[in-house]
Amino acid sequence: MKSRPSSHLVILLAVTALTALSHYAVHHGALIRGYETSWMSGARNVGLVLILALLPPVFSFVFKFKGNWSIYTACVILFSIGLTVQYRLFSDPEYSLRGPDRAQARLDKTKTMQMHFVRQVYDEKKKALLGLPPTPPTPVDISEEVRRPVVEDADAVLKSGRTVAPLLAILGLILAFALMRYERFLELLRNKGFLIVLLTVGLLIFAAVFSTAGKFLGELTPWEPSKIPFLIGFAAVLAALYRNLARTYWGLPSGRDVVPLVFMAVLPFLPFFLLKDFGQMMVFSGVYITLFAIAVRRFAQRFVLIGGVVLIFTILVVGALPLNVQEKIPLLPTVARPVKGILPDRIQQRFHLWLDGFNPPSPETSWWKKDYEKYYADLVKRNPRLPALVEANPGLRKSINVDAWFDNLAFQPAQATFGLSAGGITGRGIGLGYVEGIPVADSDYIYAAIGEELGLVGGLLVTLALLILVSGGVRIAIDARDMFSKLCAAGLTAFLGFQALVNIGGITRALPMTGITLPFVSHGGFSLITSFVMLGMLMALSHRNSIDRKIAEDLRTGRIAIEDDEGEGKDAGE
Amino acid sequence: MSGMLSFQNAAYATLISFEEIFGGQVLERIPAGLSVLYLIAVGVVVFFLFSSLRGAFSKPNPIEEDLSGRVVARITQSLANRSLRTWRIVFFVLTMTVFGLHVYWTLVAADTNEQFQNLTYKDSRQRRASIASLRGWMLDRTGKLENAIASYEIEGKKGLSRKYRFDSAFSHLLGTERGTAGLERVLYGGNIEPMPSAVEVLTTIRRREDFAQDVRTTLHGDLQRFIAGRMNGKKGAVVVMDPQTGEILAMYSAPSYKLSEARTQDGYLELESDRRNKPLLNRATREYYVPGSTFKAFTMIAAFRAKRQDAVFESSEGGYLASRGARPIRDSNGGCAPPYGCAPLDLSQAFAVSSNQYFARMAVELGSDRLASTAELLGIGAYETPAEAMRSVLFPDIWNSDNERLRGALAVEKSAMVTGSKVSRYDLALQGIGQGYAGQMTPLQMALIISAIGNTDGNLMKPKVEYGRSPEVFSDVLSPSQAARARAIMSLVTEGAGGTGGRAFAAVTGAGIRTGGKTGTAEKDVVAFDSRTGKMLTVKKRRRGANGKFETYDAPKMVRRVDSWYVALAPIERPRLAIAVVVEGGGYGSVTAGPIAAEIVLKSRDLGLLRRDGDRR
Repeated sequence: MKSRPSSHLVILLAVTALTALSHYAVHHGALIRGYETSWMSGARNVGLVLILALLPPVFSFVFKFKGNWSIYTACVILFSIGLTVQYRLFSDPEYSLRGPDRAQARLDKTKTMQMHFVRQVYDEKKKALLGLPPTPPTPVDISEEVRRPVVEDADAVLKSGRTVAPLLAILGLILAFALMRYERFLELLRNKGFLIVLLTVGLLIFAAVFSTAGKFLGELTPWEPSKIPFLIGFAAVLAALYRNLARTYWGLPSGRDVVPLVFMAVLPFLPFFLLKDFGQMMVFSGVYITLFAIAVRRFAQRFVLIGGVVLIFTILVVGALPLNVQEKIPLLPTVARPVKGILPDRIQQRFHLWLDGFNPPSPETSWWKKDYEKYYADLVKRNPRLPALVEANPGLRKSINVDAWFDNLAFQPAQATFGLSAGGITGRGIGLGYVEGIPVADSDYIYAAIGEELGLVGGLLVTLALLILVSGGVRIAIDARDMFSKLCAAGLTAFLGFQALVNIGGITRALPMTGITLPFVSHGGFSLITSFVMLGMLMALSHRNSIDRKIAEDLRTGRIAIEDDEGEGKDAGE
Repeated sequence: MSGMLSFQNAAYATLISFEEIFGGQVLERIPAGLSVLYLIAVGVVVFFLFSSLRGAFSKPNPIEEDLSGRVVARITQSLANRSLRTWRIVFFVLTMTVFGLHVYWTLVAADTNEQFQNLTYKDSRQRRASIASLRGWMLDRTGKLENAIASYEIEGKKGLSRKYRFDSAFSHLLGTERGTAGLERVLYGGNIEPMPSAVEVLTTIRRREDFAQDVRTTLHGDLQRFIAGRMNGKKGAVVVMDPQTGEILAMYSAPSYKLSEARTQDGYLELESDRRNKPLLNRATREYYVPGSTFKAFTMIAAFRAKRQDAVFESSEGGYLASRGARPIRDSNGGCAPPYGCAPLDLSQAFAVSSNQYFARMAVELGSDRLASTAELLGIGAYETPAEAMRSVLFPDIWNSDNERLRGALAVEKSAMVTGSKVSRYDLALQGIGQGYAGQMTPLQMALIISAIGNTDGNLMKPKVEYGRSPEVFSDVLSPSQAARARAIMSLVTEGAGGTGGRAFAAVTGAGIRTGGKTGTAEKDVVAFDSRTGKMLTVKKRRRGANGKFETYDAPKMVRRVDSWYVALAPIERPRLAIAVVVEGGGYGSVTAGPIAAEIVLKSRDLGLLRRDGDRR
């Protein structure tokens, strides 16, 4: 298949139709489960995908876009899958409500399904025993169900963040593309990169000071867009210095070159450490290693950096390994003890959840003691005889600990794993799983929801779309003419790729779980906008490459001749 | 707004056509079908995108295209591009590792990861799915819906909830959702997945009913409730089975608990921690008792099998000496049992008066091999050494059922004897009278032993709870004539002169029902509890510690408990009931357990259980 805008338009229109189909499946599933979906939100979602589907012709006419559409299409597919799962979750009253309302919503749903069953299966006699009108088993006609009207408020739907954020994201994509395609703008970014970063850091530290538990003003993460200036800054510095790094004195590059680089590399970690956002730190380290490995040519320098990061990660893992695992390897407990002492509780917790999550820690463990005791105190409040029972039966304490662990810290990851496991190969079907039981399944845990309702195949499709995005991005980086745009393209790709990897890895327990979103799929405000802006930047770089390739081909065929020898050889030569 | 409505109507029109495509019998088919369609279509799109990328992998950079290979290899561009290509491979590998773990959790973990398996009770999905699709009703042997052991009722806002008509009478059989599984958890769903995948919904599931068929059990609700009432306030167990078919009519363990109580976390914790009464323990299948004299039925079977049924042994005032220097085994009165005194006894006389000396001697004469082979035929484990016998082994295969989960849930703790070559004559003698190493018998096991006698063909039928399952033979224990003779001997206990069960069964015999039986009175050392606080009592003891010095420690205080046993067959001509009753601390078998067994027989007659279709008068 050629990468023509027309064929991509066809594909994207098909994706729009599929989005409508999947939303209809959600609606039907909802009726079976005893709740209603909002037609307006559904139409809004399909409309959003339609807008995205109609962008290729617009880009062709307005911007004379020449680049590759594959990564864009892959992102729209991810977005469509995400919208479907979000629509499923947000329609379900059990997912949105809290407290007793939630319990009631759950009961209502169960009752609807039970009554469907009774109506379909029970004969006259059984119905009479239940106190129902004795009718023979009759099939249920979903369209005749008692309607539970959803308040359809056009104003609220239009003003909701679920409409505004994607629209802003699309706008951001167009703007980013429009700006980035100018050579001048790129030049400006490259020269002023350092300044941009310093300004961002100032704002970020402000946000970090006024945020709680990694969230600012409720559920917002306004520092998501800061990835872009950080990336530009690092790429600019690296592009300026990479050649100098190759000049070594006794194997060492000069300090004048290394210091700004290290400074730039460490800078973003400061605010994110303050924010305790370890997921973003993981993504940042991944991106920086990528850029470094691309720009630096000396094997020794690469080895030192990559080896260093691997070493730090290993030490962290070893330090956080659960004791019963440590004891199997000689000397390990001795080595790990000092590390364990330094690690913050939150990291130890996350690592335990990751490496040994199904095994509750002893109630004496420092980072677990408080939560356990709170849980126990609640139990005692309900049943004052409990302490006596526990004293008489030491086994009881263990089972309380297990319950406390899985009702508290391990609840989310365990539910997510159950979701993956319940999904099987093809999933339970859209709207037919129990994803409403997974907390934050609309953003951080959306992959678990996909795994449950669309199964391994759904997960594979998300993974493949991600790989298309990354391959396309790497292609853009390979084709890039100069080091700065090359590093930008690689960095943007790495940001999107690693963020997805860290998110999915957290759910499949390949990595510790950290609260970051799955790009394009998760519900989000700033994170969604950032992802689309990054996509727009990548497309602009792709557009630029295609124009370069066209010129190179024209040169080769002799259609045009080089008049000014400046442009091309500058970056390529040694 | 009208536009919206017509939009909805149009959508419902498509719904009907979807119904034609996917089939409308199962509601879930439409969303399931649509989601499979969605997956396939998105898969096709992703495939196209991937193939469009293939060219992009190999194409060189436009700048590099014009240069010779040697120059390309040296310039920064190419070095950076080589790194980029390597990075892409690394990223692919990482992504596939992450996805590989998704595959692991989906396909592998549920079968192999033990920690994960142990946690499934924390997953509410299974429970919610089964609540929504309603389990079948559990009917008792009458098969009447209104007598259902487990059914449903509508509870206002809460929807339908499971209703247990007999509640605590059936607790152990129905089981809890947390601990050991019972019939509730194993009878339904068998091979049918309660949460089918989208493809399964489309292809295999034809009708909703398949989720939950009603199951008719062999249990009798009213009889079970009667037994529960009779055992109220006592500890022990009752098993009533049909020796001809192996059908379990009733199986009750006291004390019981309310199923609603076990459903909440606090309630369950409280039940679980009551170590004094152990209400969650199903005593009928999982508790060992010393069977005492009721075990003489076993020795009698062994004698018949060895053709030693006509042996006549003398008793002596000093008791039977199994070997020189061994402790003498006396009868319950301290010498020879009345009314025959120390006169030579045959098997029937010895059984009627429960002569310890006779059966102890019989066991020694039979020898360990013969006892072992009889034990195996009756489902008792015969072990080489006491250490082996002490091991806890579950025995699921005694049950007549295709349902592996059912066999597991009802699995009986395997009763044990020690019949190795190193076992002394004295130990054999003790086992012959149901003491010593034979002190590990479950109530169900005792019912099985006498049901082999009660079976008109002398076979041991596998017990079963599913009504309408064809009976299965576990083993051929006795010939029909031997079984008939053994039954005649057992009837002497209630009808003969000096029979130990005569008084307890007077009312039954008076009502014209001929029965056979055996009393048992057995002592067992058990841990003592404070009657007021319910705490375990301890005594200070001294022992030599690990360092060789004496130290004091708290040892549990043991007290001697006298358990009361009765096993019965009724009616003796063609037994339809094999009953085993044990009451902990009930004293003499003829005083506590015997009357309960007699009342069960009378109640069964009222319920029409003594004679059934096909029985000759």
